[in-house]
Amino acid sequence: MVSMKIIGKGAEAYIYSTKLFGKEVIVKRRMRKNYRIEALDESIRAARTKREVKVMYLLGKLGINAPKPIAFGKYDIYMSKVDGPLLRDYKHKNAQMFRVVGSVLGKMHNNNIVHGDFTPVNIVVSKGKICLIDFGFSSITNSVEDKAFDLLLMKRAISNAEYENFLAGYISAAANSRMTIARASKIEKMGRYQKRTIDML
Amino acid sequence: MLVIGIESSAHTFGVGIVDGERIIANEKSSYNVGTWGMIPSKVAEFHISNARATLERAVERAGIDLEEIEGVGYTMGPGIGPCLQVGELTAKTIAAKLNIDIVPVHHGIAHIEIAKKFAKLRDPIALYVSGGNSQILKLVEKPTKHYAVLGETFDIGVGNMLDNFARSIKLNPAWGSSVAKLAEGGKYIPLPYTVKGTDFAFTGLLTSAVEKIGKADPKDIAFSLQETAFSMLCEATERSLLLTNSRELCVCGGVAQSKRLKEMLSDVAKENGARFGYAPDEFNADNGAMIAYAAEKLIEKGISVPVKKCGIEQKYRIDRGLVW
Repeated sequence: MVSMKIIGKGAEAYIYSTKLFGKEVIVKRRMRKNYRIEALDESIRAARTKREVKVMYLLGKLGINAPKPIAFGKYDIYMSKVDGPLLRDYKHKNAQMFRVVGSVLGKMHNNNIVHGDFTPVNIVVSKGKICLIDFGFSSITNSVEDKAFDLLLMKRAISNAEYENFLAGYISAAANSRMTIARASKIEKMGRYQKRTIDML
Repeated sequence: MLVIGIESSAHTFGVGIVDGERIIANEKSSYNVGTWGMIPSKVAEFHISNARATLERAVERAGIDLEEIEGVGYTMGPGIGPCLQVGELTAKTIAAKLNIDIVPVHHGIAHIEIAKKFAKLRDPIALYVSGGNSQILKLVEKPTKHYAVLGETFDIGVGNMLDNFARSIKLNPAWGSSVAKLAEGGKYIPLPYTVKGTDFAFTGLLTSAVEKIGKADPKDIAFSLQETAFSMLCEATERSLLLTNSRELCVCGGVAQSKRLKEMLSDVAKENGARFGYAPDEFNADNGAMIAYAAEKLIEKGISVPVKKCGIEQKYRIDRGLVW
């Protein structure tokens, strides 16, 4: 029996650190939620796990920095370890960094990969490089709306100046950036998605 | 302080009276939604013809004279325009006749505050679920004290979604509790599940469920619709609890009358070491007492509004609502 050490708990999964073939790896395991009926619970956990592995694999193929999936079960993923602080907590944030984040997202969108929870909490700065994590809400889709939500989530979590750099990077890389940005401003004007008075993150 | 509250944002015309912390009357007249739902002009007409009788019943139940009342509150919004106007007019008439303070109340804030009172919670995350609204909220101090929206529906409220399904499958009365009754003993069939962080959307789920009418057992559709919608709310709520490190949770609004939703949320709270509470059903359905309760707190704090400035606002956002 290999020891599994809990190193984090999110809303839906536990993150463990363990050893596989002598190498340190991270395990993300989606837990049973008692509030959900079993059939729904299983389908959500299994679908998200499968999609997350697929997205990580695709990102690897595109040369975008993300943990490498090593093995997976129905509800858990073994992946390579990424060291470094979250972009949110990183002390030496600069304009170039946000441009890179924008261009990485542009490249993903060109390949119809949507992150689904694209915020500075899901980006690690590893040895000075941007590395995306947590693809639990990802999808493979050409939906302009879903892509626009990636922009909006980031916008809500960073400063205006940071967002401008982020957007410049996005425009430089994304093929249909104009359409996505237009949809994002349309969503923002929707009655129920007005600018929130404060940001809790 | 003796304060009266008028609620008329949707199908219920409610009059409540509080004496400080004590609720001494909570009378209501409710428009029958039948199988057709709410027709704004008809509901407003219903409120007009029932306003006086409901008011008189409340005063009688409270065992006071109308002249003893020291303040009046009414629902400013959000709600159906013609309906809100009836409540506004009733409140303004009382204020002018008795020459007392008047204060407009945000419907959602009144729901949350009455839940906090009954559940004895100090600073909870609130899941506010009703016909027109579905939001996750928390009272914050900065930049000014207000209810911050942590998550919300991108399209329609969960109650609206259930009502719409009830009308499509011809339930009478066409609302959520009829769907809950139909759902008993149903089996799960997959339906779209849409959560984005702490936000959610219901129209895709509704369309898909309506399309299944006639093709699947009504019981199964109703069961799966309810389970899927409530699970979405629970997931977004759990995320909000974790994001804010909160240790208290309450649920309020019309849909909070659902036993199943409360059971699920109690699991969410337990799993995250949070205390969970809610108001009795009478105060989760729209009612005048919660408006009176909120108005009393506001007036006690010296917050009132000149009659001339009292109006209604159909899309009154909760983060701009008056708090104390």
